[in-house]
Amino acid sequence: MATILETAAAVGCFNTLLAAVDAAGLRGALEGPGPFTVLAPVDEAFAALPPGTLQTLVDNPPQLARILKYHVIAGAHSRAALCAQPEWPSLEGAPIPIRSTDPFEVKNATVVTADVACDNGVVHVINRVILPG
Amino acid sequence: MTTTTPPAGIRTPLIPPSTHPYAEVIHRLEAGGSMLPDTPENLQQIIGIYKAYAVPMDFYWRDLLYIAEQVFLNPLPAFKYFISQEYLDRPNSYAGDQSQLRIWRGGEKAHPELLAFMERGETRRMPKLLHHLWHDRVNMEFAEACMRAMLWHQGMGGRFNDYLESEAYRANADRAIKAYFRGNPLMLGLYALFPEMFLEQVRQLSTTANLGLFWEVMAPVFFEMSDLYDEGQLTSVPQAMDFLVNGIFAVAGRPIYHHVFIRGECFEIIPMSEGFTWLYEAALPYVEAVFYRTSPFRGTKSYNAQAGQVPADQADFHYGILYADVFPVGSAGIPPTLLMQDMLHFLPPYLQELYREHRRGEEDQLVQLGITFQRSMYNVTSAVIQALRCALLYPLDDTDPKHLLANRQFFEAQMDRFLRPEARLPDIQSQDYR
Repeated sequence: MATILETAAAVGCFNTLLAAVDAAGLRGALEGPGPFTVLAPVDEAFAALPPGTLQTLVDNPPQLARILKYHVIAGAHSRAALCAQPEWPSLEGAPIPIRSTDPFEVKNATVVTADVACDNGVVHVINRVILPG
Repeated sequence: MTTTTPPAGIRTPLIPPSTHPYAEVIHRLEAGGSMLPDTPENLQQIIGIYKAYAVPMDFYWRDLLYIAEQVFLNPLPAFKYFISQEYLDRPNSYAGDQSQLRIWRGGEKAHPELLAFMERGETRRMPKLLHHLWHDRVNMEFAEACMRAMLWHQGMGGRFNDYLESEAYRANADRAIKAYFRGNPLMLGLYALFPEMFLEQVRQLSTTANLGLFWEVMAPVFFEMSDLYDEGQLTSVPQAMDFLVNGIFAVAGRPIYHHVFIRGECFEIIPMSEGFTWLYEAALPYVEAVFYRTSPFRGTKSYNAQAGQVPADQADFHYGILYADVFPVGSAGIPPTLLMQDMLHFLPPYLQELYREHRRGEEDQLVQLGITFQRSMYNVTSAVIQALRCALLYPLDDTDPKHLLANRQFFEAQMDRFLRPEARLPDIQSQDYR
């Protein structure tokens, strides 16, 4: 198996996410043993953000890291495990609500592919960038 | 029995109509509109006032940062409104060619109308000190009242206030306090005796920096909206609201920090690396503290807390512009009146003309202007509500009824805040409210 970041790179639809992880200086952490559960927004999700949003974040790595950490949960949790609880603490600190189990919706994003197993965790692919609050 | 099929192009609503008392406004929000009705006069009023607001705001943000970063703990800050040339010339981080994010076209320098007013005021050219003592100047007291509302209310989301109570913050503030009063045994002695008092002053200055960084962004946004309107490119109230929504997202990740410069050395009281953002730690607390809550200031109306006229819970405070009765507010020394007087100096000609045509003409311009400001802030609040809906909920054209119902519940919860009788939401639905 590959790590979370290797898996994401191989798929080819997470270019923005991977670039953001590098800009935020989180590559080292996400290549560690973890395990992590990563809610990975596809490139289209980042492209849907209003103009300038991503640029401001990329220009300011600590702020970008905060938003990215909102997409990560400590531990490896499958879809079934996530659905067993109404909300999960993100690494950012704010909770991530599980709004629907079928279809599987995490906050206001829909999980388009769940349970991608990796060496150091699990990836669930989501269609929208989620924000704390 | 016959069934009617809606003609092609007309979509059947996926959820039933709202039964909320503000159902009409909610349906407008769901259609991508603003709480403020879309009329040419409303558009003219709000854009004109954004322009008149942006000019003094261009001074507020510069001087707030000057106070937070340079004046700092000066025990006799008599000259804190005498901004240094460096801060008056400080390039705006979100305007001008040096800006990292160049989406608003304005320049980075202080606005020419502001500089002209600082030179002459309402009276005539005279030394700065005389302008100050005659109170012929920008009313920084208003900016500081907003800052104090943010500091006092706290607990409005974001992590800023938690950090102000943290050990890391205390250690950073301690270093800065000791450096600032180095060689001053009197002040260092007072600090040793009353450390919390000094710390609270630093917290106030951190909030001052927070508000300065917040308004540094809003000034170029409002200037740009005014320019677009003058060019005929901003033609409706929802367009004006969408422009604000996009602006909120564009700078959402701007760092909020507090740096102090003491004898040329930078002390990071709140470092950028804490990850505090413009949206969560500044904009949302600002809107909550200033638009909704503030505090019952003394004026021609007095409040009796013992008689329950002031809520016991701070979250229920409702003295912001969205609830204000602009007429009694219009008294000397009242924070909103100070802002209105500031804006009066920079009204575009079309608003001056509009006020002359209605009510008591020039005699009650401050009241008419205050109500225009109220309309404009209902539009800004609409932008914040739509931005939150966009960030936390679902697109307005979502096809899943469950998502649309979640949006509906969010909008209804927001409108619940305007059910109290003081709210001006029903008033701004009519053009006769002036």
